[in-house]
Amino acid sequence: MAFLHLTEGQFDFDFNLMKKALFSFDSTDTYQVIFRDFRLPRLLMGVIAGSGLAISGLLMQTLFNNPLAGPYILGINSGASLFAAFSIMTGVSFFSTQFGTITSSLLGAFIFGIIILGFSLFVRSRISLLLIGVMLGSFSGALITVIQSMSNAFQLKKFTIWTMGSLQQVGFNDFPMILIFYLIALVLLVLMIKPLNTLVLGENDAGLLGLPVRLIRIILIFITAILTGVITAYCGPIAFIGLAVPNLVKLLFKTQNHSTLITGSFIFGILFMLFSDWLVQFLWNDIHLPLNAITSLIGAPFVVLLIIRKLA
Amino acid sequence: MIVLQNIEIGFLDKLFEIENITLKHGNLYVLVGANGKGKTTLLKTLIGEVRPFKGEVVINKKRLKEMSRLEKSKNLSFVGSKQQDIDFLKVKEYVALGRFPYTNLLGIKTLEDIEKINIALKTLGIIHLQDKFVNDLSDGEKQLASIAKALAQETDIIILDEPTAFLDYANRILVLNLLKDIAITLNKVVLFSSHDLDSILEQDAKLLIIDKVNKTLKDYSSNLITKTEVISLAF
Repeated sequence: MAFLHLTEGQFDFDFNLMKKALFSFDSTDTYQVIFRDFRLPRLLMGVIAGSGLAISGLLMQTLFNNPLAGPYILGINSGASLFAAFSIMTGVSFFSTQFGTITSSLLGAFIFGIIILGFSLFVRSRISLLLIGVMLGSFSGALITVIQSMSNAFQLKKFTIWTMGSLQQVGFNDFPMILIFYLIALVLLVLMIKPLNTLVLGENDAGLLGLPVRLIRIILIFITAILTGVITAYCGPIAFIGLAVPNLVKLLFKTQNHSTLITGSFIFGILFMLFSDWLVQFLWNDIHLPLNAITSLIGAPFVVLLIIRKLA
Repeated sequence: MIVLQNIEIGFLDKLFEIENITLKHGNLYVLVGANGKGKTTLLKTLIGEVRPFKGEVVINKKRLKEMSRLEKSKNLSFVGSKQQDIDFLKVKEYVALGRFPYTNLLGIKTLEDIEKINIALKTLGIIHLQDKFVNDLSDGEKQLASIAKALAQETDIIILDEPTAFLDYANRILVLNLLKDIAITLNKVVLFSSHDLDSILEQDAKLLIIDKVNKTLKDYSSNLITKTEVISLAF
């Protein structure tokens, strides 16, 4: 899948050229530059975004004991969207020139992440936390509408394109930071397998087994916040993967063991993301489809099919 | 051993008081009382979810409120009247969750853990169900599985909130017999609440009755009591 993803696009590459671009990079060769500056970052970002969103979705589904929860349920993506809107449409120089879209949305995701973590320190019940997340989303959604109503056509288009999601906004130099966040999340994740398996019983019963429920809740939200925050900042709010993939994996593997569910979400999240993005490239000459449209267009019917087959 | 001395039980208001009751190992105790008189509150007080209105619960010679979360989970296990639905959770995985306090940070089970899980499944007679999903079990089998989880937790004390409420007659008798066996042969304190007077009196379990007039918990573990007396006292 990764190879297929790398080779698809407006330029054709062969294996030799990829090897050269990686190990004996020649900056005068256009093909090598394209490979190194566009194709490879796109692939890496696809891997990180696909796995990160699917895993975040799984964490939220287990934490809230609800298959409808997803990585965006806590409103962290709306922080990113709101600040992206600030940057693209308000013309406030602070956001548009100093920062640019990506840094602004990173900041937004960060601020909203802090807000929701702050709430999770005080709020006792999970449902209240869920509602606060949804309200954060509605509130920033409304603010974005206000900003949109005051923007010109060009700004509107630019923002709309940002919300459609893309893996191509990221450059080779952004990866050290992205990878640091990603690896922190993955390390914490390994320690969360046992708590997640116990949380399946519900917070009450898990607490009686000795699980420090509050602490675990905060760590799970922290992992989700850094993963979705970074991914949304660089790729826009990519829909559907985080909601669908964990459910798909549960139906396929029929288990509640989170080491299996995490591994499954990791692999299928990546496959799903790379396939969708490959399709974007593949169809590029005929029709320009946004990534968000593809993930839902192929994903939604697929999940419905699986559910029907499970019931039959 | 649970020692309850000069304790008032209540959540927002005081519900009843306990002068001096000790629950000893090797005994099956049944908590009887009318609805809303504080049965569940007492059970929740004993597992540390609710603070006593006044006084302190002492468990195995240690004050409950001074116990860490992990200590509590090694001394007390709790079984509710109905388990929530969980998709794709196998019976043996469910029972294995009782080993939580003993496994390492990554939750990897040792041979000893697996042995303990198997013993719990065998004691409850559900080893043949171990690879089934909990959701596919009958209500009776589900209740047996959650008692097996409590056994795997290896606690001295097992507390159950109306474990027979959703069961048919045969399963009620089965569960009560098993609970009595567990209390006696494994030398544990087993305490459960129930409305099912007929089955309890048949089992001659030790009764703790919430006296609705005097608002006290009365210990009838050493004297015999008839069904009419229980009814007039509690209801």
